[in-house]
Amino acid sequence: MAGYGEILSSIIDYMYSFISQYPALYALILGIVGALILSAIVNVGAMAVVWLERKVLGDIGARFGPNRVGGRWGIIQLGADAIKLFTKEDSIPEGADRQVYVWAPIVASMATMLVAAAIPFGALYIEGQEYPLVVANMDISAFYVEAALSLLAIGAFMAGYSSNNKYSMLGAFRGIARMISYEVPMGICVIAVAIMAQSLNLVEIVQSQTLWYAFAQPLGFIIFTIAIITDLGRIPFDQSEAEEEIIAGYTTEYGGIRWGLLYFQEYDMMLLGSILMVLLFLGGWSGPIIPLPLLSVVTPLIWFVIKIIIVLVFLIWVRGSLLRFRIDQVTDLGWKWMLPLSIVNLAWAVLVGPYLLAYFA
Amino acid sequence: MAAEVPALIYYIPLIIFMIMGAIIPIASLALVKIIAPLRPGRRKISIYEGGLSPIRDARVQYSVQYYLFAIVFVIFDVEVLFLYPWIYVYASKFMESFLVFGSMNIAVFEMLLFIIVLLIGLVYAIKKEALHWV
Repeated sequence: MAGYGEILSSIIDYMYSFISQYPALYALILGIVGALILSAIVNVGAMAVVWLERKVLGDIGARFGPNRVGGRWGIIQLGADAIKLFTKEDSIPEGADRQVYVWAPIVASMATMLVAAAIPFGALYIEGQEYPLVVANMDISAFYVEAALSLLAIGAFMAGYSSNNKYSMLGAFRGIARMISYEVPMGICVIAVAIMAQSLNLVEIVQSQTLWYAFAQPLGFIIFTIAIITDLGRIPFDQSEAEEEIIAGYTTEYGGIRWGLLYFQEYDMMLLGSILMVLLFLGGWSGPIIPLPLLSVVTPLIWFVIKIIIVLVFLIWVRGSLLRFRIDQVTDLGWKWMLPLSIVNLAWAVLVGPYLLAYFA
Repeated sequence: MAAEVPALIYYIPLIIFMIMGAIIPIASLALVKIIAPLRPGRRKISIYEGGLSPIRDARVQYSVQYYLFAIVFVIFDVEVLFLYPWIYVYASKFMESFLVFGSMNIAVFEMLLFIIVLLIGLVYAIKKEALHWV
């Protein structure tokens, strides 16, 4: 049964010789194939997340969740929702800034794909070596991903500003205020991780985690978790679309597929955000290798998916059990607590980190 | 064993991904144009404002307090931007030298000093209630 490994190794050797001969052609093929595969993975993943959220929230509220449409566990509900969104009439509200209104979901979608390009989606384990599955393996990918994540707020602000609705406008202002309050602590947490890993490359960050950074810097892990929930705009930090106060926030005037696209981007980002959390703090795809032929190849992927599902369920659990903060509480928490604490965490990473890592290496 | 690729090669897929990100919503909008019914009406495009007709323009002037947040954000975001090159240049050397007792890298303490100066600025902004939501 050792044949599999040899065949895979020879394929990889062939790929490497191809890459060194035609790097530009390789990048083009990688881009096109990667874009097709990843857009499928991200969108199907987001649908799965929508379904998981409705089911888990149903369980938390002692309800069934979707179960009427059919399929086991109401899984056909997703198809029914998609058909509904695609057959709804498309209308633009009166007095809206049409250009910005149309471009808002497109900008949000571009942001999602730009994040997906640099995130490693697992690894394959062949003949004792790990081959990460990532399209753009840049030296600065952690920094790049953080920058692209904040583009989603631009899409949300465009949607809120262009709608010519006071609720949308309030939602947009709140969204930007929330985003800027938590961008800085999140950036400092990523820096603290990068200092411990001595790299900003997400693949190298994962490979350097002999001790998960969630344990090496617990404070940073907590701050990053809160910051990522805020960045994703989920309860308790969904002031930009608080339905009890401002109807639906920045999506109030959106309907049909345009609303569907904005809503879907949020779930895409939820998936990507939890992947980022697993990569930075929970050891990525690292885990014991199952010593079976063929199964050992995909072991890192299995660990990776398990960790992502745990993080997703945690995020949904948080949504199901906490109440929404007021917007002034959110900005206060961000500036007066998270920012100083993230700097404490940075000092921890610089001063205590080397000893910790040397002890566990 | 790793393939030697010029670093800038990885920015080509990003452009393709951006185009793909634009294609998905445009394609779904085109599909909606084909299959969805279209019966426009004046009521359908009116703005929702609690059931009443909207009063005045929605693009209101917001409190100036809001812009103070933005200014403080710019200061601290630039701080974060300065920290990134610092990691790349100094932190790795520092990690090696720190374990040898007595030889510390001065750049780390310079950067901590820089952060402390900015933290004093943050305390000042909080005391002046610049970060008070109204």
